[in-house]
Amino acid sequence: MQEKEKVTGTPVSRIDGILKVTGKADYSTDHPVKNVAYAVLFKSTIAAGRIKDIDTAAAEKSPGVLSVITYKNAPKLNLKGGIRGGSMLQSPDVEFFGQHIGLVVAETFEQARHAADLIVVDYEKKEAKTDFEKLHQQGAKPKDKEDEKRGDVKAALDSAEFKVEETYATPIYHHHPLEPHATIAEWQGENVILYNSSQIINGAQNAAASTLNLKPENVRIISPYIGGGFGSKGGQWGNLVLAAVAAKMVNRPVKLALTRQQMVNSVGLRQRNYQKVALSATKDGKLASLSHEITTHSAIKEEFVEPCGDCSKVMYDVPNLLISYRVVAMNMILPTYTRGPGKSTGSFALESAMDELAFKLNMDPIQLRIKNEPERDPSNGKPWSSRTTVQCLQEGAKAFGWEKRKAQPRQNQLGNELIGYGVACGTYPAHQRPSSAIVKLKRDGEDVTATIELAAADLGTGTYTILAQTAADSLDLPIDKIIVKIGDSDLPPAAGAVGSVGATSYANVVNDACIKITDELIARSGKQFFTRPTAAQLMVSEKVDNIQTRADSKPPENAEDYSSHSFNANFAEVRVNISTGMVKVSRFLAVTGAGKILNPKTARSQIIGGNVWGIGMALTEESVVDPRWGNFVTRSLGDYHVPANLDIGTMEAIFIREEDKFGNKLGVKGIGEVGIVGVAAAVANAVFNATGKRVRELPITPDKLL
Amino acid sequence: MRPFKYTNAKDVTAAAKMLAANPDAKFLAGGTNLLDLMKEDVEQPNELIDITRLALADIKLISSGTNKGGTSIGGLGKNTAAANHPLIRQNYPLLTQAILAGASGQIRNMATNGGNLLQRTRCSYFFDVAMPCNKREPGSGCGAMEGINRMHAIFGWSEKCVAVYPSDMAVALAALDAVVKVRNASGQERTILLADFHRLPGDTPEKDTNLSHGEIITAIELPKNNFADKSYYLKVRDRASYAFALVSVAAALEMNGNKIAQARIAMGGVAHKPWRAFQAEKMLVGKEATEANFRLAAEAEMADAKPLEHNKFKVELGNRSIVLALQMAINGGKS
Ligand SMILES: Cc1cc2nc3c(=O)[nH]c(=O)nc-3n(C[C@H](O)[C@H](O)[C@H](O)COP(=O)(O)OP(=O)(O)OC[C@H]3O[C@@H](n4cnc5c(N)ncnc54)[C@H](O)[C@@H]3O)c2cc1C
Repeated sequence: MQEKEKVTGTPVSRIDGILKVTGKADYSTDHPVKNVAYAVLFKSTIAAGRIKDIDTAAAEKSPGVLSVITYKNAPKLNLKGGIRGGSMLQSPDVEFFGQHIGLVVAETFEQARHAADLIVVDYEKKEAKTDFEKLHQQGAKPKDKEDEKRGDVKAALDSAEFKVEETYATPIYHHHPLEPHATIAEWQGENVILYNSSQIINGAQNAAASTLNLKPENVRIISPYIGGGFGSKGGQWGNLVLAAVAAKMVNRPVKLALTRQQMVNSVGLRQRNYQKVALSATKDGKLASLSHEITTHSAIKEEFVEPCGDCSKVMYDVPNLLISYRVVAMNMILPTYTRGPGKSTGSFALESAMDELAFKLNMDPIQLRIKNEPERDPSNGKPWSSRTTVQCLQEGAKAFGWEKRKAQPRQNQLGNELIGYGVACGTYPAHQRPSSAIVKLKRDGEDVTATIELAAADLGTGTYTILAQTAADSLDLPIDKIIVKIGDSDLPPAAGAVGSVGATSYANVVNDACIKITDELIARSGKQFFTRPTAAQLMVSEKVDNIQTRADSKPPENAEDYSSHSFNANFAEVRVNISTGMVKVSRFLAVTGAGKILNPKTARSQIIGGNVWGIGMALTEESVVDPRWGNFVTRSLGDYHVPANLDIGTMEAIFIREEDKFGNKLGVKGIGEVGIVGVAAAVANAVFNATGKRVRELPITPDKLL
Repeated sequence: MRPFKYTNAKDVTAAAKMLAANPDAKFLAGGTNLLDLMKEDVEQPNELIDITRLALADIKLISSGTNKGGTSIGGLGKNTAAANHPLIRQNYPLLTQAILAGASGQIRNMATNGGNLLQRTRCSYFFDVAMPCNKREPGSGCGAMEGINRMHAIFGWSEKCVAVYPSDMAVALAALDAVVKVRNASGQERTILLADFHRLPGDTPEKDTNLSHGEIITAIELPKNNFADKSYYLKVRDRASYAFALVSVAAALEMNGNKIAQARIAMGGVAHKPWRAFQAEKMLVGKEATEANFRLAAEAEMADAKPLEHNKFKVELGNRSIVLALQMAINGGKS
């Protein structure tokens, strides 16, 4: 039998693309549910204290209003059920500005919104902790993170010839997915269906069930399409259960959607970080020590600290290491996972410091990195399952024209613009997580179709497509004969689309299920074959009408013997207007080693999407708090500047051919997170190369370059 | 958003009458500013008078009167149409550049010329009803004065208000000596110089302009000038598109030999109105168009700036932007 051309690894366009561009893909509140009422949240306007009184009389009388729900009449919920950030109307206490303090349900959205404006709240204010600038020195050790030490950093630093000791600051960033968080809740007897964008389908199911004091089987999450999440739809927030509460109270299905302005203090954020990095090295560039001390903030009752030190643990071969975290509890919404959690912000500090060190050493920053390339994972001594950082740097340098970079800043001017080149590396761990999947085959004459079912999530990244590709190859069917059903908690449980585990976990389990069904078809035929037949062939030759099987997959047993990460090298060319300080990233190249690339087209989109956000981190994005109130002054996408088309120049993505034999069966490593890691540093380093100005506080807005 | 009545005006005078009759009514033009503010409960009209169907969209040469030979732009014409009309592109490229530097293609397709002039400040304290703001709620205080005021005014602000006026189009119009034509409920017309149309905040920041309730903007008139080949709109902002100006400069020069015969400079992002840099203009007349002279003029203008805590950079940025805009203007738009 002739080996067919595989579709895995080819640039198949998204199979859900047509649905999306024609508006037929149903996002959370698009689902056609009959007889819905509309709920609108209202929020606290103080950052700390207590509600003395809440006057809802006018709202209740307002036309169309069905119910006004506050802590006074909300049912008791389990606050430890796994919903993040509190904000579930359980008490009159206020812990941050913008905490949900009530919900108006009405016949129409406009009626609900209007009634919400009529509510009058009388507060007893307490002094609030809202000023990180003033509080950061009071940081304490986080509960879940110990300081990490290797060797003696202080001694190495004291005696070193070359060192860099600087503090790097990143602002609060918001996820701001285009689809705001939104839920439709529909009760059917004791069961509730929640149409709700969720990166972790089973996680949302469990959190909702536990919080609502139900069993998981009483809760169904339906989330076929997600309009972006970036971590904010990984954990679930108050809106999910409040929709269910409202639907129960008005005895009708309820739609609850956040406004853009409400997003800033409802669904987490990436916290502000101060990162003190100290590097020391010999004069030929061998690192002697690395310390990375992080100070950040979290919420009053819950703690989340993003792991900014993670890159520093694994990037370089360095004998003396210190990583520490300090956190202050503040009256702010709970921070949460945000694309490249810890790594994107942490790499800004580490990779900026590496650039500063290279400059002091008068060494090419690529050479400095290659010089310190570790043979094994320095954090645990394990061999890499695969690591191609050096190839990423070398191939990237060639493709980018790195040799044109001037070693000294301000040497490359064209008209009124200074041009600069920057490089920075990044990494993100790769894991396979337990997942299950069902494959069903159906035959109609010679025509065989397959349905793949699992509670996976597609963030808009291409999950549907890569699973269809994987199944098509494994079953030997054309890709248009594969139906992929995901995003529903009634399907077999699967990992979340978080932490770059989605593609790996889903593709492996789907592949396992397809192999298993082929095995079962062979067994059922009772025949011996010289070459292994495919499922498609067996369905026809054995005249099987219907068959289905389920696979439950886990990572390979020896996976833990290896350290498995994706790695990249990012190259940025910037043009800085000498008069105005405006920066444009004219060219950007990310070279990534991420194991097997299932679909170079969706993979490229993932990478350049991460790159664009990284450029936003570097240049434009910032959420600003007025510490007098603890509120955000940047509440809309007119104030929170994600990069616009005109901010983005030529984007290029190259994947290094990598065969990873140890992490998981398919050798997939995941690309969702790593695409943003190292990007901000590459841009900031390029700005230094262009202008000679080292900006250590993001974003690099024009005023910082005057 | 509050409930409101939706009404339609059948002609221009009727529209003015309907507005005059209800102190809580507002005109609805493109709605790109008004509706956003209503959703946030900042604007609370109880009636919206739709004026979009009035025949006030023409762009034409003015054939008589003081501005004969100039161009008239209808108050209800769309920003996109104004920017791209051949009369504007040829004779007032500064205006084309300024309009296209604002908002996004989609918004400019909806936005009208009159609505653009009357758009309200983007000050985040004004936009957030949980915050104090004298402009939104007189007497409640100014949130920005001691708050986050990086985007705010450096010229002409008062203790009551430090907001800046956001329009790009109006900055170019101020430089081009444009005139706003308005009509009232009795059908009477009057004209207001664009440079006098918007107000400084003083004690009444709630009043953005000198338009009276009950007046409708029918047209904007551009006098004839000789600036077309030496003008430039520079907008410095936090991202390359779809952001309001940190500082913007509309610069226009008319030369007489190697001397400057006339200069027009207006700034955006620095005050409660388009800020005509009269001092700088005066200094340039009769001088050669050199970088040194541009610099002296810029410094003279910016010497009076009074920055706030977070916007000190606007003084230096204003300096540089005036110089760069003048250089670009003299070079016909190239640096
Ligand atoms: C995200 C975003 C970004 C933007 N960025 C920019 C930018 O960078 N630069 C910039 O300049 N602008 C920008 N804008 C603002 C935009 O230009 C204005 O919203 C638009 O010009 C307003 O015109 P409109 O017709 O939609 O006005 P409307 O919202 O309909 O009306 C505004 C006001 O004018 C009144 N009005 C309208 N027409 C008349 C008339 N003929 N006579 C009397 N009163 C009238 C209305 O009653 C209302 O009070 C931005 C807007 C948004 C939403």
